[in-house]
Amino acid sequence: MKHSSLVISISAAVSITAASGNVYAAGDTVPVKAMADALHLVMDSDRTIYTRKIVNRLVKKEKVIKASEHFDDDKALVLPAQMFRFGSELVQKRAKKLPDVNFSYSLQSLWPINKQNAPKTKAEKDGLKFVADNKGKNYYTEETLGGQKYFTAVYADTGVAPVCVSCHNKHKDTPKNDFKIGDVMGGVVIRIPIDG
Amino acid sequence: MPHRGITLIMHLLLLTSSVMTTANATNDSEFIKFETANLIEGRKLWLDNCKGCHAYGTAGAPVPMVSDEWKHRVIKDRAVLYDHAINGFFGPDDTMMPERGGNENLTDKQVKFAVDYMLMLAKHYLNEQSN
Repeated sequence: MKHSSLVISISAAVSITAASGNVYAAGDTVPVKAMADALHLVMDSDRTIYTRKIVNRLVKKEKVIKASEHFDDDKALVLPAQMFRFGSELVQKRAKKLPDVNFSYSLQSLWPINKQNAPKTKAEKDGLKFVADNKGKNYYTEETLGGQKYFTAVYADTGVAPVCVSCHNKHKDTPKNDFKIGDVMGGVVIRIPIDG
Repeated sequence: MPHRGITLIMHLLLLTSSVMTTANATNDSEFIKFETANLIEGRKLWLDNCKGCHAYGTAGAPVPMVSDEWKHRVIKDRAVLYDHAINGFFGPDDTMMPERGGNENLTDKQVKFAVDYMLMLAKHYLNEQSN
């Protein structure tokens, strides 16, 4: 099915097939929600593979190296959440040189160890609360910041390994110490500027 | 600066629903209750310790309501499932089932009750699919 509501230009000469089966022709544009979902799918898949193929395999299964929040001092692997955050920071830096690429993403929490990762806007706060209270659902809204309108999507970030949960529960700066595996511990916020 | 191609079409999308679902919501009351004492206890343990991942497929956890993910598991020796749940398990794609679901306070007996409940749940949905 050819998509009819198109908002972001696809410059590729070939058509792109979305997981849902929608096919976009060259010159079409993609709805901003689909764009945000696709970005999140890539981010989440990369992080999942890092967790499984690097951390689970080398740290837990083969026990050849550790993963640590203090990876430099400990000569260890970065934690999956740190890898995600470093990716976000590099994207921000690299995107400045690409005028047609304009979005941001971050890992935030209502219970952050680092206060810098607390939500700042109402959309972020509402979204993080929503994904924590409604597991399995995403949150989508619009917000205006500094006169610019944005499409903002929030996706749950779930604690999937004992080390995620125990580190957050035991950390000296944690505002919450009763996380369990499978709990939503935060969220990925993707923000894309829109017209209007 | 907004992308040149961005339009207001997304407003229409948002008007229909500002919140969209990627998976079915799963409240505790939606999970089937079985009558035997062990399965009643198992359900409570499962909801408290296993649901967080197994109800949603988080980190590759097999979902008992998805028959394709359980048809090859329900025919396994139950001792194997108990062993994986108690001692942890690495799947072929390096997925990881943590020991005792990450709750070191659970006894072997409690883990087995939770496994029994999940198996009954999976069998229920397999039977439902085949009928």
